[in-house]
Amino acid sequence: MDASGDSLPSAGNPGNGDPISEEEALRRLRQSDDPSAQYYGAWWLGRNRSRHPEAVPLLREALRQRRPRDPGAGVEENAVARNAARALGKLGDSAVAAIPDLLAALEDEDHGLREAAARALGELRALEAVEPLRRRLASGPAVAGALQPGSPRLQEPCEALLEALGDIGASDPALVAVIRPFVDHERPLIRSAACRALLQLTGEPQWGQQLVQLLQHPQLQVRRAALMDLGAVGWRPALEPIAATLAENSLKLIALRGLAESDGDQPVAAGAHPQASPAEAMGHGAVLAAMDALL
Amino acid sequence: MAVSSPCGDPALVDLVRAVQRADSALAMLHATQALANSGHPDAAPHLVEVLGFNNPGAAVAAVDGLIALGHGAVEPILTGLDCHNYGARAWAVRALAGIGDVRGLEVLEEALATDIGPSVRRAAARGLGRLDLTPLPQEVRLSVSERCLVALEQGCGDGEWVVRYAVVVGLESLVPALHPEAERLQRARRALGGLGDPRAEEALVVRLRAAQALERIDGPGATAAAGSEHTHG
Repeated sequence: MDASGDSLPSAGNPGNGDPISEEEALRRLRQSDDPSAQYYGAWWLGRNRSRHPEAVPLLREALRQRRPRDPGAGVEENAVARNAARALGKLGDSAVAAIPDLLAALEDEDHGLREAAARALGELRALEAVEPLRRRLASGPAVAGALQPGSPRLQEPCEALLEALGDIGASDPALVAVIRPFVDHERPLIRSAACRALLQLTGEPQWGQQLVQLLQHPQLQVRRAALMDLGAVGWRPALEPIAATLAENSLKLIALRGLAESDGDQPVAAGAHPQASPAEAMGHGAVLAAMDALL
Repeated sequence: MAVSSPCGDPALVDLVRAVQRADSALAMLHATQALANSGHPDAAPHLVEVLGFNNPGAAVAAVDGLIALGHGAVEPILTGLDCHNYGARAWAVRALAGIGDVRGLEVLEEALATDIGPSVRRAAARGLGRLDLTPLPQEVRLSVSERCLVALEQGCGDGEWVVRYAVVVGLESLVPALHPEAERLQRARRALGGLGDPRAEEALVVRLRAAQALERIDGPGATAAAGSEHTHG
């Protein structure tokens, strides 16, 4: 049915789609009889970037009400906690108070909760998360990046951990040394996340060039990930390869938005890279023209 | 929908048969590309059928083919509009937006105002800015461009940044059709000013594009404020 490549909100099933007010979202999160209503309430507050003073305290509480996983329990408390983590990541400065709770969630047994917490900490640019994130990856692709027996998951949510470290952007040689082996991981999505983080942290064009190569990958899922990663960095030399990628225009537009909104003189352009490519020299105008052509 | 049978030109018959017999997504894509590349005026209804096959690659090729056929494809698209197949309808809106024939106006208005898919509203906004008004008598031109302007003014409140971006592009390209009426030009400027205002528009890329549009309309320096506040988010 989705012929056009729109990404609909992944709200999950419960109550999906009925428009509710902020008051109603807070009410659903506040009660505790119906976890699926809490799940939706948490999602709503993040999606709509609620500024209500009760939003962050309620989300913190939801993040704490987790328990060992019980797959038979329908929407269980951990699902609410995961959505609370995702929502906190979208609330910007007002969610800074929740960083200790997110750091605690990063140590949880639930892989999915660690993943959601890592992403939220990255979105909040939480410097205090750098060390715990690095520690989770330090055992390298052979341990942290190894497949869990009987599951498609890796031991650690590597993609989220890598992306968070890149987004936080605190670069030091020890951190780069931990990330670097992941550019050879067997999974292209992990390679993409590692290149993204290294491009953000070092500004070295070789990582951008590897992402551009992934835009040609035979799997659409990989091309999509590389698009999002280049957009997240805002790497201007990728302009033409992005426009030419075989993927939905919706995703190419999101990636190009990242290029248009990047300074063009961030570490990436100012750093190690003496010969500025033509795309960099052209500035916003070229990016906007490429976006116009994809509408 | 029944698959129609081609008549007449034997070259077209073969191309349509290849589409009908395609037994994989890739075969369908290649057959559709061949049919689209034929540029045959009678290919349009068969390309419209492909829009309903739930094959995005082939649908892109069919939309391109329909846009290349231009005004001659409008009637088959409008006839083939299928309210029950959302995917097919979404692709048809894109084709109509690309062709720019005024007979698509109503479909584009409705799509921008009510379609659930941001990519469909985006295409509709783009299309509302570039309907070809030149063949129309003056008074019709006036009423059509007024309807486009109203639809785009309302589109400024869309919840998706990419749709508002397309509204900016639509408004900019509508401006020549608004000349020389100062009042309507002023409305377009006001709409663009709102989308360029950091207090009202959260997406920096939309503000940058709105500033560019106003600069092209009024010359540089008109909107220095619009893109200046650089925020991430």
